[in-house]
Amino acid sequence: MAFLNIDSVKERTFDAIVIGSGMSGSWAAKELGEKGLKTLVLERGRDVKHIKDYPTTNLYPWEFPHHGVIPEDVQKANPIVNRCYAFGEDAAHFFVKDAEHPYVQEKPFDWIRGYQVGGKSLLWARQTQRWSDFDFEGPARDGFAVDWPIRYKDIAPWYSHVEKFAGISGNRDGLPHLPDGEFLPAFPLNAVESYFSKHVKTKYSRDVISARCAHLSKPNPIHLQQGRAQCQERTLCQRGCPFGGYFSANSSTMPWALKTGNVTLRPFSVVESIIYNEKLGKATGVRVIDTNTKEAIDYHADVIFLNAAALNSNLVLLNSTSNRFPNGLGNDSGTLGKYVAFHNYSAHISAEVEGFEEWATDGRNPAGGGYIPRFRNLHKQETNFLRGYGAGLSAYRGRTSSGEGIGDELKQNLAKKDLGPWRVGSHMMGETIPKESNYVALDKSKKDPWGIPQLKISVDYDDNDAKMKADYLAQLTEMFTSAGFKNIKGESDHRAPGLDIHEMGGVRMGNDPKTSMLDKWHRLHACQNVYVTDGASMTSTSYQNPSLTYMAFAARAVDHYVGEKKKLNS
Amino acid sequence: MNRRIAIRNMALILGSAAVLPSCFNDKKGKPVVELKHLEIDADQENLVTNLAETILPRTSTPGAKELGINLFILKMIDDCTGKEQQDAFKAGLKEFDEAAEKKYGKSFNQLTQQERTAFVVDLEKQAKERGAKEEAAVKADKNHKPEEPAKLDTFYGMVKGYTVFGYTTSQYFMTKQVVYELVPGRYNAMFPVKKKATA
Ligand SMILES: Cc1cc2nc3c(=O)[nH]c(=O)nc-3n(C[C@H](O)[C@H](O)[C@H](O)COP(=O)(O)OP(=O)(O)OC[C@H]3O[C@@H](n4cnc5c(N)ncnc54)[C@H](O)[C@@H]3O)c2cc1C
Repeated sequence: MAFLNIDSVKERTFDAIVIGSGMSGSWAAKELGEKGLKTLVLERGRDVKHIKDYPTTNLYPWEFPHHGVIPEDVQKANPIVNRCYAFGEDAAHFFVKDAEHPYVQEKPFDWIRGYQVGGKSLLWARQTQRWSDFDFEGPARDGFAVDWPIRYKDIAPWYSHVEKFAGISGNRDGLPHLPDGEFLPAFPLNAVESYFSKHVKTKYSRDVISARCAHLSKPNPIHLQQGRAQCQERTLCQRGCPFGGYFSANSSTMPWALKTGNVTLRPFSVVESIIYNEKLGKATGVRVIDTNTKEAIDYHADVIFLNAAALNSNLVLLNSTSNRFPNGLGNDSGTLGKYVAFHNYSAHISAEVEGFEEWATDGRNPAGGGYIPRFRNLHKQETNFLRGYGAGLSAYRGRTSSGEGIGDELKQNLAKKDLGPWRVGSHMMGETIPKESNYVALDKSKKDPWGIPQLKISVDYDDNDAKMKADYLAQLTEMFTSAGFKNIKGESDHRAPGLDIHEMGGVRMGNDPKTSMLDKWHRLHACQNVYVTDGASMTSTSYQNPSLTYMAFAARAVDHYVGEKKKLNS
Repeated sequence: MNRRIAIRNMALILGSAAVLPSCFNDKKGKPVVELKHLEIDADQENLVTNLAETILPRTSTPGAKELGINLFILKMIDDCTGKEQQDAFKAGLKEFDEAAEKKYGKSFNQLTQQERTAFVVDLEKQAKERGAKEEAAVKADKNHKPEEPAKLDTFYGMVKGYTVFGYTTSQYFMTKQVVYELVPGRYNAMFPVKKKATA
């Protein structure tokens, strides 16, 4: 490294450093900034400013060169990201292109990423559920993975804290396994969805509720203060929302953090490693590669929050080696990079619905429809697989238009406005079991364009996943049949793990430093001024969407750190 | 390639529903639309234009040509399909013209509008019959291997598919026929509609 004069070291010294500006990092930044800590946020991608940097947000379908379709050469050049349903002509610019950020697939794994300020919070489907003790107690119950060091009561107040600021819509459904939150009004179920909900409640004592989602159905003053407005039901969210109608780091937490005056954002800064000082026995900063100049620069701080998204946080720790930690920072247990798990979304079902012709929907539902909370193995183990699954459910009705005929007949067929029959569909959201054999590691021979070792991913499905999938298809087929739906088609696709975009683990929490990386406050057991509060920290995956939990973790961890600091100073 | 660059931005054409000036028709046998992969000459481009206009003619409302859909079709095939499909398209285009020649003794481009319509109606009818036959064969024998679709059908299917796609996503259609709302500002989950009277 070049000689550094004292002044510039001072300029590069902060109270706190946050690595990553996405869903979880932006929360850490907001909380740190609000508590008065001079904070540096390092982001490997470019800056994306709310509204200004949403180039497609107000385009009509005909204003796209291919009316929304991704050209063949782009598809061919991006076989991985092209599999993601949200990778369209309108949002492609928010996804990582395959060739630009290589990784090694020891087994097929579709790693879907968004490298920019805001991370994947610009792209997500905004489904948000609290986890419950049924989720936090899963490993303790069946012995797979280690026990979570926390329970629902530890995180519940932080869910509230996050929900109030982000804005979550939902009904108070009173389910023990899906705790209620601080909700804005829910987006209601339509005629067929609510019929199905009533039917399965009566017949099976199972629930179908309004999907809970991060949309401002009815903003509170705190949301207006953020400069956000009511959701306008455009359902074009993946382009970035000019109304700030849904939660993203870009519309909410990042600008709020910057407004405190305590937060500095540095884009184009890929963190290569965290610097560990053996004499002091703690981390003292991070090394960054400027992605434009390729220059290495060190930044210093008392505390580091690692929020680079699950697998990238693994990469950063694995690449942070020292005499004390030859196998990655904090890795005394040898578990770093292991027990990676994900969600299994590879089965879906669809059917036709007779009746309900007196009802349609008007406008669009940003929540997407209904949600079926877990109903398997909940109170006791009752199947031949562990844990459980939830499911999405949505019913819809389209125009009777058709492409039949030519000439005037065709024009009339296409313009038909009469409504056709209802259809209904569901997709599975399954929990996978964290196992040591599902791991990520550094590939020693391959480097990325910044000279950082590439991540090698070795993650696969197992027998439990196959059994769970079969059960989802059987149960949903039975429920659809009993509800009177017709022409039911259950299907399993052969997607690789990862495409659900809920990869988790590798830096798991646990009570025992011998078998886990993080303590109950998300600190590395062996290096207590480094906190990891994204998906890497997850001990098990539950079946529920994870991002709300990452946000709550980030806020709770910052509060803990600042509390400890105060204790020391007083 | 020294092809004439006539259309830089298809969106502009579709967006403004512009009428293409007739001088765009290059007499030297080069197509007017700039293509990267698909090599076709002016005659073939005209055939696609005439076919699109036959499928979606100007009536009391705009047709394919007026909405620029003829060029949109070629752009989509050029940009959004692979080489295999492009080859099938070209081979099918040839077969299509040969079939017209066989039936009328002249190329599709030389047919009157009535002849073109009759030809396409007949083509759709035959394709439908073949489809029904295949379906019956599959019903009778699960192991029945469906016949490769004729190149001509593949070509026609692509032109019709992109005509319909281009039309239903055109500014004209989305503002005048079925109104697309960029900002609905509402979600009514229980919207009452009149039950269709059943005779
Ligand atoms: C299409 C889609 C749909 C989804 N739907 C849902 C859903 O409905 N519900 C849900 O809960 N979740 C959903 N998700 C997942 C959700 O987006 C992620 O769980 C969430 O964004 C993770 O937050 P994060 O902060 O860990 O990572 P991110 O939001 O990805 O942010 C990480 C940031 O760190 C940066 N970074 C990475 N490495 C480095 C480095 N070395 N140095 C500096 N910066 C770095 C990245 O560029 C990025 O900006 C969806 C995701 C996608 C793509």
